[in-house]
Order: sequence, then structure tokens, then C-alpha cells
Amino acid sequence: MTQTKLPQTKLTARNVDVFYGDNKAIDDVSIDIGNGVVTAFIGPSGCGKSTFLRSLNRMNDTIAGARVTGQILLDGEDIYDREMDPVALRARVGMVFQKPNPFPKSIYENVAYGPRIHGLAQKKADMDGIVEKALTRAGLWNEVKDRLTDAGTALSGGQQQRLCIARAIAVSPEVILMDEPCSALDPIATARIEELIEDLKSRYAIVIVTHSMQQAARVSQKTAFFHLGRMVEYGDTHQIFTNPREERTKDYITGRYG
Amino acid sequence: MSNTWKSDAMTRRIAARNASERRFRLLGLSAIVLSLLFLALLLFIMLRNGLAGLDWSFLSGSDSTDASAAGIWGAAKGSFLTMVVTLVLSFPMGVLAAIYLEEFAPRNRWVDWVEVSINNLAAVPSIIFGLLGLAVFINMAGMARSSPLVGGLTLALMTMPVIVISGRNAIKAVPPSIRTAAMGVGASPVQVVFHHVLPLALPGILTGTIIGMARALGETAPLLMIGMRAFVATPPGGINDPSSVLPMQIFLWSDEIDRGFVQNTSAAIIVLLVFLLAMNGLAIYLRNKFEVRW
Repeated sequence: MTQTKLPQTKLTARNVDVFYGDNKAIDDVSIDIGNGVVTAFIGPSGCGKSTFLRSLNRMNDTIAGARVTGQILLDGEDIYDREMDPVALRARVGMVFQKPNPFPKSIYENVAYGPRIHGLAQKKADMDGIVEKALTRAGLWNEVKDRLTDAGTALSGGQQQRLCIARAIAVSPEVILMDEPCSALDPIATARIEELIEDLKSRYAIVIVTHSMQQAARVSQKTAFFHLGRMVEYGDTHQIFTNPREERTKDYITGRYG
Repeated sequence: MSNTWKSDAMTRRIAARNASERRFRLLGLSAIVLSLLFLALLLFIMLRNGLAGLDWSFLSGSDSTDASAAGIWGAAKGSFLTMVVTLVLSFPMGVLAAIYLEEFAPRNRWVDWVEVSINNLAAVPSIIFGLLGLAVFINMAGMARSSPLVGGLTLALMTMPVIVISGRNAIKAVPPSIRTAAMGVGASPVQVVFHHVLPLALPGILTGTIIGMARALGETAPLLMIGMRAFVATPPGGINDPSSVLPMQIFLWSDEIDRGFVQNTSAAIIVLLVFLLAMNGLAIYLRNKFEVRW
């Protein structure tokens, strides 16, 4: 079985456990996530894939009682180290959520907010440039360039989700985590997001959690299958879907459960 | 007949149900009419008794032993100064406490205890706050008796829990997705609160604040305890001068035997009601102006 060689490992997890109080939600997960590829996490509801995703940018810190053990490295730096600032980490590891959640502000402000709090633009012209670039990369610029002052919340669901992607990439992240980004969208909007992921993957490490196996097969190069808090199998997407090594993976892929 | 929906029993059942719907609507309507009737009655009596007394000399004068010379300005200015002290103290303290409890405080027994205490504080009878003000501000701290400063401090103690409770509810109503969105682009917890949560919660906080202030404006009992029932014939020059307040002036005049003071009492009630209506109107205006819909 030939494995696609990871161009460069961006995130490394070693023996990661995640607890909610006494409840172990993730059990001993180790994975290497590559730069410039899309990695999909699949598995039935409640299998822990979203929990694991949220531990990659320490979003779990905000949940009372959540605890992570083991090691997660971003370019070799331990993200749970005392020295690591979780606030700066979340700018480097951006996130797109299940339900589009633009700020109730203008389209421009939605994108400019991140760069502004991190001091990425000194002049108004610089900020305009960042906003245009982010919206262009998110495939939204042509639709909104004449109405940047309109409310972000007035856009359609698919546009809102692309605005959220633009907001995430405006702070120049290295990794983008997507937690079921299309589950609230119609098929056409979903297709646009999938095209966008394809366009973005060369610049970032992208990790996407999805309920749709077709989506995982379409957009990702690597797939990890989670079940009951454990990572059952991780490999090339093509291999996972055509020739899974594990019986449980095969059962899930063929629709036996999930 | 085999058709269930055409049977006599069903027809009677539906008719009975419609009748009970009508009875409920009538009951609700009469409840509203009854309470509005009392408000109308109050307004009618006050306007009939007091309108004639509402002239410029009444609005610009201060308390006097002579009913025809007595005016409301001294008490109105005292109320205004007292409200300023109350607002300046209770608004920032109440909002900060609400933010801390809602966004930063750890969930433990100690914080639960603080929450229960604040809820209880809002329900403490106001005269007890008056006793506290008398003991702490006048007897211990040696502040001036009958002054808007002490009155404002005492009413601030009373208003703060109301602002904390309404503030917490307003903050709780901000969708969590806004917080995660801001955190997701690397905003710190304080930035999340001040850039996103607080602006969205502000209409609710302001509404609660103004309702709390309106309640403080109409409060008499605690101010009795700190000596604001003195006869004050000159308007206060500052927050340390002896002063009266509107509801206290109404209370004092209602006690007078002279017929002329009956008119003054009603006129003063009209002035107080105008203030209260204006404040509630402001609350509604602010809520509509700052409310973000999405």
C-alpha cells in the first residue's frame, strides 16, 4: 500500500486524551497533519471528531471541566505549553464553525476585526488591502465589493459561511479548522465551499470535520475515521474509501452504521 | 352516522371549546382594562386637583410654610442631584459585576453564594437600605445628613443589584456563537466582552438601569432614615447641601392641614409622574435604537 508522503507535517498529536470532567471523550489519539493538504475527520455522531478538532486550537479551554493530556505540536511547539498563549494560537489556527456566525457588523468590519486587534495594518489603505485579499480568496469579493458596509448577517447562508472563512484567513493563519462547515448549507452553497477548500489548500493546512462521506471523499487527501473516542484508521482518502484496513471503517463507509 | 367529525357530540365539543376561548380573551381584556382604569383614575384626580397649581412660580420655587409660595424646584433639583450620584456609582459597578459574574467568574460554590446574595439584595425592603445608609455613611463616615450625596449612595446600594440582574440577563442573551467567533480569530476574553458581548447586551442593560433608576427616583422610605425629610427652603447648591426629593416633598405636603397644600401635593405628583414617564420613554427609545437584529 503506497502512502502519499506528507509534504510537511504541520500538526502532530501524540497520545492525546480529552476529558469532559470524568468522561473520556478522546482516547489516545496520535496523528500527523500535513501542510498543504486537506485532512478530513469522519465518524458517527458523538465519536469525538469535533472534540478532537477543538483541542487543536485550544477552543476546549473555554469549556468548564475540559482537560487535554498528551502532546499536540504546531511546527514542533507544544500548544499546551505554559509559554503558548492560547489567544495568539487561535489566530494561527483559525476556525470555521458549523453554523455561519458573522458578527452583527458590516461585511468590512467582519473581516477587518481580526487584523485590527492583532495590529496587522497600520493604515486604512493596508486594512482595505487585507480585507479585499481575504474576501477574494474566500470567493466572495465580486459579490460584496459594492456593499461592504452592509450587515454581514444580511448575506445568504452560503455567503455568510464564506464571509466567516474570509474572516479566518484575514489574520494569516497557518491552519484552518472547519467544523462541519456545510451542514447548514444547501447543495449549491456547499459546492462553492468545497471549491473554495480546493483553492485554499495549497496555502494552509486544512482540517475538516464532516458528516458527509461524499464530501470527505471529494475534498480531502487524508482521512481519519473516529469511533467511540478513538481514531480507528488514518490514511489516504482514496485508500480509506476503497480499501479500508479496519472492519469498523468498512462498516461505516458502506453505511452499516452511523 | 359514521363520520366522527360530523357527529353531534363533536359539534357540541367544538362549540364548548370556542366558548372557553372567548371567555379567556374576555378575562384577559378585563384584567388590562381594570389596571388601566386605576391609572386613568389616578391621572384624572391628580390633574383635576393639581393642574391649577402648576404654574411657573410653583415650578421655580422651593418649599415654604405658605402653600401659595411653596414650589417644587428645590425638591426637583435634590432629586436630580441624588439620581446623578446614584447613576454614577451604581451603573459602572453593576455592569462590571454583571460582566464578571457572567463571563469570568469560575463556577463554584462561592460564586453561587454571591449570586444568591445579589438576588436577595434586590428584594431587601428599601427602608433597611436607609438604616444601612444612616449607620455607615452618616454615623461612621460622617457625611452630611439630608444631603443628595448620602441619598445617592443609599439609593445606589439599592439600584446596583437591579442593574446586576438585568445586566446578567442581557449578557446571557447574547448568542454564544458570537463569543466563539471572536475567540476563533484570536480575541482575548476581555476583547470578546468589550468588542462584542457588551455592545450587544447594552440595550438590555440600559433598560434595566433606567427601570432601576425610576424606582430609585420614586423611593421615599430609605431617604426618611437619612434625614431627607427636613424642611428645606432653598434649593441645594451641591451634593453636600441639605435637600429634599420629589417623593419626599409629596409625602411632607400630604401631611399638611392647609388646603393649599392639597393642590401642591397633586401638582408635585404630576411633576414626578412626568419624570417617570420620560425615563421609561427613554428606556424604550434606547432599547429600540441600539437593538441589533439578526
